[in-house]
Amino acid sequence: MTATDILWLDHPSCRDLARVGGKAANLARLAARMPVPPGFALTTDAFDRAWRGGALPDALPDDVRGQVADAYAELTARLGGEPPSVAVRSSAADEDGGAASFAGQHETYLNIVGADAVADAVLRCWQSAGSERALAYRRSQNLDGDVHLAVLVQALIRADVAAVVFSANPLTGSLDEVVVNASWGLGESIVGGTTTPDTFVVRKADGALLSTTLGEKARMTVSVPGGTEEVDTPRFLRGRPALDAAQAADAAGLARNLEETMGWPVDLECAWSEGTLYLLQCRPITTLRSVNR
Amino acid sequence: MSEVHAAPAGPIPTPPDFPVDWADPADQRLFWTQDRMHWPDPVPLLVFDMLPEYGFNHAFDHYDVPMRFRGTRVNTYLYNAMFPVHLPPEEAEAKHKSSQEKMGAAFAGMGELWENEWVPALQRIHDQLDAMDLRGASNAQLLEYVDGAVAHLKRLWELHFVIAVPAYLAVSEFDELYRELFGKEGAYDAYRLVQGLDNLTLKAGRELWQLSRKALAVPSIREVLETRAAAEVIPALETTAEGRAFVAELRAYLDVFGQRGQTFLTLTDVSWIEDPTPAIKSLKDLVGQPDKDFDAERAALAAERDQLLAAARERLKSYPEPVRGQFEFLLKAATIGVVLTEDHNFWIDYAGTYKVRRVFLEAGRRLAAAGAIPQATDFAHLSLDEIKVTLAALPAVIDQKEPVAERKAEMARWAQVQQPPAIGTPPPGPPPADDPFFKFVGKFFGVPPQASADPSELKGAAGSPGKVRAVARVITSLADAARLAKGEILVAETTAPPWTPLFATASAVVTDTGGILSHCAVVAREYGIPAVVGAGRATTTIRDGQLIEVDGDAGTIKLL
Repeated sequence: MTATDILWLDHPSCRDLARVGGKAANLARLAARMPVPPGFALTTDAFDRAWRGGALPDALPDDVRGQVADAYAELTARLGGEPPSVAVRSSAADEDGGAASFAGQHETYLNIVGADAVADAVLRCWQSAGSERALAYRRSQNLDGDVHLAVLVQALIRADVAAVVFSANPLTGSLDEVVVNASWGLGESIVGGTTTPDTFVVRKADGALLSTTLGEKARMTVSVPGGTEEVDTPRFLRGRPALDAAQAADAAGLARNLEETMGWPVDLECAWSEGTLYLLQCRPITTLRSVNR
Repeated sequence: MSEVHAAPAGPIPTPPDFPVDWADPADQRLFWTQDRMHWPDPVPLLVFDMLPEYGFNHAFDHYDVPMRFRGTRVNTYLYNAMFPVHLPPEEAEAKHKSSQEKMGAAFAGMGELWENEWVPALQRIHDQLDAMDLRGASNAQLLEYVDGAVAHLKRLWELHFVIAVPAYLAVSEFDELYRELFGKEGAYDAYRLVQGLDNLTLKAGRELWQLSRKALAVPSIREVLETRAAAEVIPALETTAEGRAFVAELRAYLDVFGQRGQTFLTLTDVSWIEDPTPAIKSLKDLVGQPDKDFDAERAALAAERDQLLAAARERLKSYPEPVRGQFEFLLKAATIGVVLTEDHNFWIDYAGTYKVRRVFLEAGRRLAAAGAIPQATDFAHLSLDEIKVTLAALPAVIDQKEPVAERKAEMARWAQVQQPPAIGTPPPGPPPADDPFFKFVGKFFGVPPQASADPSELKGAAGSPGKVRAVARVITSLADAARLAKGEILVAETTAPPWTPLFATASAVVTDTGGILSHCAVVAREYGIPAVVGAGRATTTIRDGQLIEVDGDAGTIKLL
């Protein structure tokens, strides 16, 4: 029995896309230089051992379950205090690679607390990847028939404000502008399109705020025991800009930095918690080339 | 088209028995309401003459609220008009912003303002009024004291609204945020987070209760309270040493909490210091009651508060910081605000105004001794100018007995007439639904009750939770309150803070007036008895002695 199915985000070994999937590998590359919530990946090896002829077991194999529990215990120790709330996400070996966006194709489980709950969420990620819907999507994208799924477990940031940032303007195709969509709470209401976020357009060269369009921000996603819930944003907060100019510039700087690091225009998700900006996700903008030439 | 279009704005027709003679016809275009919660009965002329309207307007200016308040006396009833000041859009926007900033600063610093600014200012006024040597003053000096007292009263009422407006607004805004965050179902949920906090209205009731326990422990005192009529209690007690010691304690209580009469009209009400009968009636009643542990009851309310607060904070733990910050900000303001909604009454409506009354009472004694008015207390029926002119003329007597008699007769006549709830011209539309000021006004004064489809049911507003079935006792004045027996339901037009001792006797309260933030509702929640407030015509619909069921959660009363 080896314990190498777990790779930590802040360790260089976690940059191996084939073993941890695109999402985790990207974050691992960035974790050394930017604030990324601490966490670990369960490698594709664990999935591959269980994925026999396109069928998954009903429960995590004992050895995998044990490794996940140990890793969660270590994460608890690293953060100090109570067992932390984590986000559990799938990270496929051939997603986020620039060819096709897997956004929304796999489940994400937020605000998971406790080793058993984490193990259950990992299993559900596996099962989601093996679902008929996911396999059909793979076929439609001409991806090879074999699934290689890793699972990313990361401390959940208690987001005061979340933002989705594009290092190029997806509406105009301009490469000189960064577009920041920001709203209160966790990013799910922005990503899911259930709230109208504020839109800040920032000049990429110097971070100058070019325009601000306040959205209604009528709904926000918050953590509740066992998951997340979308609730009405209190009215006093709806009209208030989710970011000030300095925060918008910080988000734009992060996007520019990531674009330079990655070598392509990026679409990233970030969040502020107690004044600290955390990078949550980063992937190439897959729709831009149709606009930009 | 099935829409109902509002009729073109016109004056409300007045009832035939309540003709209104508008001194200034332009006033007819304003909307005047009769505040039955504070002034349900005709008021003496002097009350109107020294009407605290400048206090409200001072607070509007102080907080940059673009509103105006006016009062008028129609057929001896007080009517108030509150109306917006129309400003050009840019000016209105600037005023709105500055108002929010000023109110925010008052919310943030309410505890410190109260301790370091408002109480010291009030204490100075009390001290200066107490320092007046009224008996020893020449008539000329007394005239100066009258002018001084008028200036002090003006300042008291300015402070009254500078304090009361943010205090009530804070509680109301906390309630609003709570409902947005946690749902609108439980009418009392937000108020439970600020319950179990002591205030001077509760202290006044509690200390009288404690006197009743001391009386119970001494058989001779107990016997006097159980067997003698209220008016005979003090003379009977003064025949024994232990009785005299008890009277001394009672007087010490009255020196602090007896600076009040029956209603909100402390200037013209006979105070408990002048005539302690209301306090003695309460004492007689309390002596007959089983033991009650006020501290344990408050501790239980406080424990429930802390538990609910912990649950609310746990739920908000992962909400965005601005939400948690606003919750804590408003909670802190509401925690001090809910106490100040009662304590300002003690300092201003009662103790402060009583001290002003003493000055007028001395003037009244001199005028009555000279034969200018029938009795000292009749100063209430003169205007301020008349009092000053008549006092200045002494020893020459300007005979005011006839106008005093006419005005008393006029009040007695109008007391027989049911005054309309509003006169003048209704505003073109309802007040802005999301204006914090109008929200608090609605929660304080209440809104007109809904008619019930069921003739055996009366609808009001939720005042204090719980359900009680008992005999109703319709009480029209504090003098009449001795009829309320332990466990009966107190039914009244309104319950001013001096009525608080009755909350230890009643099993529930029903009022015609008020909302969830009225004194009645606030005090009932602290006494842990159900209340339905703002039921409109409860005092005329419920028969004295009728069995009723009060549902404080639903805000309804069943007539059984």
